[in-house]
Amino acid sequence: MSVMLTKFESKSNRVKGLAFHPTQPLLAASLHNGSVQLWNYRMGVLVDRFEEHEGPVRAVAIHPSRPLLVTGGDDYKIKVWDLRPQNRKCLFTLHGHLDYVRTVQFHHEMPWIISCSDDQTIRIWNSTSRNCIAILTGHSHYVMSALFHPKDDLVVSASMDQTVRVWDVSGLRKNTPNSAPGTFDTFDNFSTVKYVLEGHDRGVNYAIFHPTLPLIISAADDRQIKLWRMSDLKAWEVDACRGHFNNVSSAVFHPKHELIVSCGEDKTVRVWDLAKRSAVQTFRREHDRFWVLASHPELNLFAAGHDNGLIVFKLERERPAFALHGDTVYYVRDKYVRSYDINTGSDIGLLSVRKFGSPYVPPRTLSYNPAERAVLLTISSDNGLYELTNLPKDISGELKDSSLDGKRGPGQSAIFVARNRFAVLNKNTQLIEVCDLTGATVKSIKPPVQTNEIFFGGTASLILSSTSSVVLYDIQQQKTISELNTPPVKYIVWNQDGSQVALLSKHTITIANKTFTQSTLIHETIRIKSGAWDDAGVFVYSTLNHVKYCLPQGDHGVICTLDNPVYLTRIKGKIVHCLDRSARPRTITIDPTEYRFKLALIRNNYNEVLYLIRTSNLLGQSIIAYLQQKGFPEIALHFVEDKNTRFDLAIECGNLDVALETAKAIDRPECWNRLAQQALKQGNHKIAEKAYQQIKNFDRLSFLYLATGSTDKLQKMQKIAEARGDPMSRFHNALYAGDIQGRIAVLREVGLHPLAYLTAKTNGLEDIALEILESAGLTEGDIDDIPDFGRASLKIPPIVTPTTNLVWPTVPGGESFFDRALADGNLETGVEPHNGDAAITSVALDDWAKDEEQDLTADEDGWDLDVGADGKGNEGEVAEEVDEEEAEELGAGAAPGIDETEIWTRNSPFAGDHVSAGSFETAMQLLNRQFGVVNFTILKPFFVSTFRSSHTYLSPLASLPPLQLHIRRDPTESSLSRVLPVSVRALRQIRAELSEGLRAVSGAKLPEAQAIFRSVLQSLLFVAVSSDEEAKEWRETVTTAREYLLGVSIELERRRVAQEEPENIKRGLELAAYFTHCQLQPPHLRIAMRSAIQVFTKAGNSGSAAKFARKLLDLDPDPKIASMARQRIAASDRNPRDAVEISYDEFTEFEICAASYTPIYKGSPSVRCPYTDAAFLTEFKGTLDPLTRLTEIGAISSGLPAPR
Amino acid sequence: MESTDLYSVKQRFFLGAYKSLVEQSLPDESSEDYVPILFYKARAHIALGDTETVTSLIPEDTENLALKAVAVFANYISSPTGDAALEELRDLCVEIEGDDVDASEREKGWVRVVAGTAFARASEVEEALETLGAESTTENAEAVAVAVQIYLSIHRPDLARKEFERAKQWAEDDLLLQLIESSIGLVIGKDSYLDAHSFYTEQIANPSVSSPHLLTARGVTRLLRGEVQEAKSDLEEAVAQQGGQDDAETLAARVVAAGLGTKRGDAEELWSQLASAHPEHPLVTAVNGKAVEFDDLAIRFKVPPLAIPTC
Repeated sequence: MSVMLTKFESKSNRVKGLAFHPTQPLLAASLHNGSVQLWNYRMGVLVDRFEEHEGPVRAVAIHPSRPLLVTGGDDYKIKVWDLRPQNRKCLFTLHGHLDYVRTVQFHHEMPWIISCSDDQTIRIWNSTSRNCIAILTGHSHYVMSALFHPKDDLVVSASMDQTVRVWDVSGLRKNTPNSAPGTFDTFDNFSTVKYVLEGHDRGVNYAIFHPTLPLIISAADDRQIKLWRMSDLKAWEVDACRGHFNNVSSAVFHPKHELIVSCGEDKTVRVWDLAKRSAVQTFRREHDRFWVLASHPELNLFAAGHDNGLIVFKLERERPAFALHGDTVYYVRDKYVRSYDINTGSDIGLLSVRKFGSPYVPPRTLSYNPAERAVLLTISSDNGLYELTNLPKDISGELKDSSLDGKRGPGQSAIFVARNRFAVLNKNTQLIEVCDLTGATVKSIKPPVQTNEIFFGGTASLILSSTSSVVLYDIQQQKTISELNTPPVKYIVWNQDGSQVALLSKHTITIANKTFTQSTLIHETIRIKSGAWDDAGVFVYSTLNHVKYCLPQGDHGVICTLDNPVYLTRIKGKIVHCLDRSARPRTITIDPTEYRFKLALIRNNYNEVLYLIRTSNLLGQSIIAYLQQKGFPEIALHFVEDKNTRFDLAIECGNLDVALETAKAIDRPECWNRLAQQALKQGNHKIAEKAYQQIKNFDRLSFLYLATGSTDKLQKMQKIAEARGDPMSRFHNALYAGDIQGRIAVLREVGLHPLAYLTAKTNGLEDIALEILESAGLTEGDIDDIPDFGRASLKIPPIVTPTTNLVWPTVPGGESFFDRALADGNLETGVEPHNGDAAITSVALDDWAKDEEQDLTADEDGWDLDVGADGKGNEGEVAEEVDEEEAEELGAGAAPGIDETEIWTRNSPFAGDHVSAGSFETAMQLLNRQFGVVNFTILKPFFVSTFRSSHTYLSPLASLPPLQLHIRRDPTESSLSRVLPVSVRALRQIRAELSEGLRAVSGAKLPEAQAIFRSVLQSLLFVAVSSDEEAKEWRETVTTAREYLLGVSIELERRRVAQEEPENIKRGLELAAYFTHCQLQPPHLRIAMRSAIQVFTKAGNSGSAAKFARKLLDLDPDPKIASMARQRIAASDRNPRDAVEISYDEFTEFEICAASYTPIYKGSPSVRCPYTDAAFLTEFKGTLDPLTRLTEIGAISSGLPAPR
Repeated sequence: MESTDLYSVKQRFFLGAYKSLVEQSLPDESSEDYVPILFYKARAHIALGDTETVTSLIPEDTENLALKAVAVFANYISSPTGDAALEELRDLCVEIEGDDVDASEREKGWVRVVAGTAFARASEVEEALETLGAESTTENAEAVAVAVQIYLSIHRPDLARKEFERAKQWAEDDLLLQLIESSIGLVIGKDSYLDAHSFYTEQIANPSVSSPHLLTARGVTRLLRGEVQEAKSDLEEAVAQQGGQDDAETLAARVVAAGLGTKRGDAEELWSQLASAHPEHPLVTAVNGKAVEFDDLAIRFKVPPLAIPTC
């Protein structure tokens, strides 16, 4: 045990008592100064303080399931406290002890509290009735500790009288506790001393039961820890742990491992092996004596109290060593290397590493090498060791132990740097050794900085972590590529494609690219535990209590909270895969929407943004604030319900329609003012007008009307002004509108007659001028002295462009992707992006093809064809005995070896393989012998393209002619006696082509179909089959293609006859009938039948038509066609005669001659195509097959060679 | 230990990043690195088929044998027959064997490499191997690389392997050795071409070099591994990295990939591109040769008349 990991430390007065909360990260500490502190040790904060005791508080305990705290002090009092955050207070106080209270504890199921005191008694209290229900007497000195057994009704106590006592308290359960206090005598009946354990030479400070085994340990002032075992009848001392050199204050069992932890006044915390009672580890403190020790009931966590505070510590690292490769996590649990497949969830042990390093220490890191399927582990015990082991290929039976063939060596940090190299750091000598897989050093590197840890840095590179920086270091050149300043980096995580790396320190994450030229730093206040990359390029990490995300540019936020730390391994969509503290794989489902949304925003991937807006319920101030802050107010607009915010956003992004709408809803002057201002800015004077109208800003309205040339509105404004009784406004409007009469009227009304007169006069309105004079009781003569102003020369400005009904060009920006998309109203329709239109259109086709394929498979069983006759071949003919041995002597100078293509031709009897090998001559011979092919010209493209696709060229070195590399069928096969060329034409592909032909038939594209079927038959010649099933399938494909080719050819001939020799009805009818005889699939057969019915009905052969109709009905056509067929049958019942006599005997079995399209009845002689087995009349023997145009009819052939 | 610049130059040369080498500026003439960098830069030019620049790059009156050899090699590549150039190279090879020659061991090695390459191109296999010191104790990793490729081209992976194993005894664990190992792996196909695949994958991830050649090489490796789809994407990326321009090697590989993929139509288009742009590429010459051979062979079979019904 070389580590004691301090998780938390606090400074305070001397700590006398400690208690862990069973579920929350809380620790209660009672102090010598009378205070009881409640710490959150994970966050490192003091949560609360309980200060009602007078004098030191030595005893403290937390209830295992309820929010209760109990304390006991030197004030003789026992206090019970409510721990719930909202009402932390003392619930009640138990009085009774007559001296200092040393320990207290809750019972795990009964409402009991046990306490012990310097008054030499142990008391048990009922916390419900708040009475003392038992007093255990017998100790003859201070009782230093008294604790319940975790399950049984037992109590163990330790006392200064040098004894440890075990008490039986089962009596308490049976009898109702005596409620009358003070009747001590009765108590003793319930509780009896079961064992008195004598052996310590001094006072005993602490004694505790083992959680599951019948064991007790006690810690005493004789500097020993004694281990006691008990049976039903007796208890005895087993052994003692010696090593403390002063009083041992306390000793506890490790909750999970076979260890004892103790502390004492010698300022040490010591760890002991429970089985061997030997010291495992010692942790010293300079000045502080340890007084108390507490272990967490569930976790690998301890707390120790000393003179100046407390520490919380772990005994071993919980972080499991793991490495991720693809979707598989390789990790270590309980000293076994295991693999966990993220997709299937299969979790299997691969290798035992029990003998690697100290048995108490788990391996620290694991590096995985997929090429060699090897793991490289490091462990911190024994000053650091590494071990390289290959994972076993098969993992049946007992797991291999790595000590069998593992290669070990000293080193603090070791990782694979290439498929056959690994690097080991020796921290003390500061030397990095690069080793090959045998462990031999091939290179030594002196790192340029004090290196604490090394990580994989990409090809031929290392990342070196020092105290203040990380260095990217090139191994080959032995130089620093670049350096980043960071706090000490503890872990690194590369993303999937190796373009980015996250460097994790205690409180920071640095995200850098692979050359360290760009980086962002994130700071966390809480300890960072682990991280993993999302497929989209988001870094997801875990802290002690959160899962968080970090975007490439540094934005980060919380995804969810955690109860316990986890170690993230892989993020897949919504699933976070992680290992928990006991290294068990588990998953957490998260909602990635928020970070996906932000990522999409950053990457300007608006389709994705829209999709997320539509499909998820993103809400909340944070998103809105984020959007606004990042300059996307228009998107934020869509999230906001609150009208004020909505208005603000609308103004900000210039969305006037929304602004108007919300302004109406709010209806406050300042809104209208802002709206008007924005509207004017964007030149939308109509909205500005509306806004002015709303707030009755007549002056601005008038001026706006003037500016836009809206004279009729100005007239209206005059009227409004009149109604308002505002002459100034009237005058204004009249002036704007050029309404002289109006102006005069206003002036007269307000009694400014001289002005009215002059206005009239200067505008040539003599009548009105006179009228004014008259009304003023004057004549022209009275005003002789007024100079003549002449005619007013100012005109009303003309309206050049009537902008009244136009909206001026708006400022750009209002119209964005989102406005368009969101305005289209397709917010609800939600089509996932990336779904191209092409996909939709092709769906129908795919469905069709699917049907076809099902038909195919369903039907093929029906094709009753004999394969056997052709399946057996003459494999011996071409494939001579292949020499297994490379006969040539090695080192025979530079004599050229055997070309792989030559080996291919040796290894295969298939023509296609010979073509691949470029041996056209033998390929042709094979085709001729196997299938009787004679007309090769049309096969040229197949030969050339097959040959072309079987070889590739690469020149690894400059200026040398490239190497010809041969593509093999099975890349895993490298034995020359078995290598074969790649199958350029695979049966599967050809069958796809065939179904394309079938589709063409359905679509009535017969010439195309004919070409396709021919090409299928040509391709099939080049297929090499590897199994009997494949050979069978091959034969079936050939037969299907032949039948279709024949059928299509007959139908084409019928159409030709109908076109060119319309008088030859008989031939037409015959061909139609033969067509129905081809072995087609039901859908196509139905087409043939319907065509026959039609042709025969048209020719007046209603009897025969009815026969086809009956056959059609057997084929289960769709209802409409079925009813048509029934009509035909009915018609023939009325008139069952045939007008034209044809040569068609449906009752005798026949085949159709593929050249003349005439029947060859059973028993008649025929010749066959050596390849497709199509039948021909004997007269065609020796001619070229008209169907395939490849073979000589009737030629002798050996057929497809046996599969290999 | 050689300087960083030279290391980088060599690394890029071996990994086929010729374009970036061509753009590399030369150090000062007095620099120790001047000759080596010039040597590799010139060879990068040659690898790209640009022999004219080489002539201008290398001073005509150079006394340095390695540079002389490169210049002659450039002449050999550019002239169709090139016998004179070959003779000159032979002379140079003899010259470096002399006692009083003014050339370092390294330079002598370079002369051998260049001459060996030329002889290999001229199909003078034996002479090439002899020059390169194959099967001898010469410690020249580059010569080993060339020799190995020659062995591979004459279908002697066994000898290639031996040469490689021998080199491992003395050579430093370096890039070139890994390259040799991967080339052998490509031919032998051990462990599903794992050596080559890992090597090229590692080098693609190498931050200090970027070369479309590596992508092409991995594409070819993936073709051999039967990963046609992945191969295609590698090759397409290689093309993209060259700004949409196909080099002969990538284009040839794309033809093959298309021919093995699902969309065969593309193959013909790419093929006609390749055949017209690079008529001298071995794939083109091989296929064209085969097409001619086909025609010759096809007429050996007598084609009977088509079956036509008489009635």
